[in-house]
Amino acid sequence: MIKISNLTFRYKDGRKNALDNINLSINKGDFLGITGTSGAGKTSLTYAINGVIPHHYNGDYYGSVRIEGEDTFDTSPSALSLKIGSVFQDIDTQLVSSVVEDEILYGLENFSVPAVEIEQRISSALEAVGISSLRYRSIESLSGGQKQKVALAAILALRPKILLLDEPTSELDPESSVQFYRILRELNENHGITIIVVEQKIMLLSEFAKNILVMDTGKIVINGSVREVIDRSSLLEEIGINCPRVTSLSNRLKEEGVYTGSVCINVEEAEKMVRSIIDD
Amino acid sequence: MIRLQNVCFNYDRDRTLTDISFHINKGEFAAIIGANGAGKSTLCRLLNGLLKPSSGSVEINGLDTGHTKSSVLARQIGFLFQNPDRQICRNTVAEEILFGLELLYKDREFIAERLEKVLSMFGFSAEDNPFNLSRGERQRLALASLIAVEPEILILDEPTTGLDYKECIEIMEIVREMNKKGTTVIMVCHDMEVVLDYAERVLVLSGGKLIADGETRSVFCMNDVLEQASLIPPQMASLAGRLGSGFEDVFTVEEMTELILEKSNEKRRVEV
Ligand SMILES: Nc1ncnc2c1ncn2[C@@H]1O[C@H](COP(=O)(O)OP(=O)(O)O)[C@@H](O)[C@H]1O
Ligand SMILES: Nc1ncnc2c1ncn2[C@@H]1O[C@H](COP(=O)(O)OP(=O)(O)O)[C@@H](O)[C@H]1O
Ligand SMILES: [Mg+2]
Ligand SMILES: [Mg+2]
Repeated sequence: MIKISNLTFRYKDGRKNALDNINLSINKGDFLGITGTSGAGKTSLTYAINGVIPHHYNGDYYGSVRIEGEDTFDTSPSALSLKIGSVFQDIDTQLVSSVVEDEILYGLENFSVPAVEIEQRISSALEAVGISSLRYRSIESLSGGQKQKVALAAILALRPKILLLDEPTSELDPESSVQFYRILRELNENHGITIIVVEQKIMLLSEFAKNILVMDTGKIVINGSVREVIDRSSLLEEIGINCPRVTSLSNRLKEEGVYTGSVCINVEEAEKMVRSIIDD
Repeated sequence: MIRLQNVCFNYDRDRTLTDISFHINKGEFAAIIGANGAGKSTLCRLLNGLLKPSSGSVEINGLDTGHTKSSVLARQIGFLFQNPDRQICRNTVAEEILFGLELLYKDREFIAERLEKVLSMFGFSAEDNPFNLSRGERQRLALASLIAVEPEILILDEPTTGLDYKECIEIMEIVREMNKKGTTVIMVCHDMEVVLDYAERVLVLSGGKLIADGETRSVFCMNDVLEQASLIPPQMASLAGRLGSGFEDVFTVEEMTELILEKSNEKRRVEV
């Protein structure tokens, strides 16, 4: 559904390529996590997918990005946003209204959603994200985490096929981050929405994503299932990406020669591993 | 040296902090943890005198913040805001670091020495424009400006949020270095692995109340407290909890590895 071929991009004032010969296919229904150190090119890749690059940033652009066969180069960002809903990294620049309800209404009116549908779309989007109680609140009075949820609700109301989120839980506490990812999983599994999410916390990706893509200096370094990626933990650590501690534990026990199974990606697996070593 | 007695605070009608009392001694490294909206940032602003308690008292080195000018407090306390961009306002890295120094000191030679020291400690170029730096580098610059005046107390509100792992470790190692030299550190942090690795003491806020205050490891064992504050314990602590008896007090990968090796050796011995 998304096909990126030989994509290279350098910002007008950039010293090096922000994206360097990217080749990538993302299938319908995927839940893809993108991770990497800062400056790796994660945000730039999201921009290339939703058309912000090349339509809003000048620079050298080579290669192509196709969304359901259409080249983003020849499609306006607003036409693209019918298919791809984006939640940006800098939340304050994304929100334009002063009241939560208006923020959602704004998008719906821009997309000429029929008036009879509007109320239902607003209330179900607020409910999906669990912020029905914030409907009439002023956006200024909300915390960073609450704003991130408002942005998600406003996007969901437009019913995109693809959701593209750039570090959506950076302002959230750990428990709220997990709740946010549960919402994404629900949308992915029960509504068939394709999820592409940039995330620093690999522990969240290992729990919720299907596939992980690791970027470094504008390139894709690893692209595979969660387990395939976590399995390369020494490479991840070399790049500067922190693996879950249960992964480090299983690696240590392998080194010590007491464990030979596959690498652990969550606490459940680690418990099984330890029991298999110490129990009779 | 920091003493809160029955501190309450409200912004408007709603009570934000309720009846908070604790004291922190010189040289301690304490973390404040809790869910979004628990009152952590508000507590930080009370500690540095930006906010005054609605009732109760906050004392810093014997000075009641309610009756002390912020400029006097600023000499003793370095405060890192949750977002570094609120803090950075000059056109070059050097000017940014000089800003705080020149407010507090007059001696040109002394100021120049401090500037050099901090630039080399952080590896910054004096003439770089702060706004061309990445978020992680701007965070380090904000910290550098604080450290330049060598405050007795550092208050850090989510110093590692938005940073990648490498940047996070860089910041935390600098903070640890300062703490070893005697600086008192109070840090708000959502990453429990970082809290476990760096803080000796943890204060847990929930709904504006202090629901636990103790040594880091013992607080991470209080399941009811963690649950009430919506906190997810460090992974090794969760694993140890699931494994049950024999795994008490295991918090790090090293400790876990050692214990498992010991137990597996025992098992082999029994089998032989
Ligand atoms: N507007 C811009 N102009 C010039 N260079 C930029 C711009 N935005 C980002 N870059 C550069 O492109 C690279 C990738 O940045 P980005 O995609 O934001 O990385 P990430 O999201 O992984 O932190 C970095 O080297 C960054 O400095
Ligand atoms: N300037 C303010 N005016 C009114 N209410 C505020 C203000 N700042 C914070 N609050 C409220 O005080 C409570 C505690 O906020 P805060 O101290 O920022 O929490 P934390 O840092 O733990 O996330 C929240 O309910 C928040 O909405
Ligand atoms: Mg980014
Ligand atoms: Mg805060």
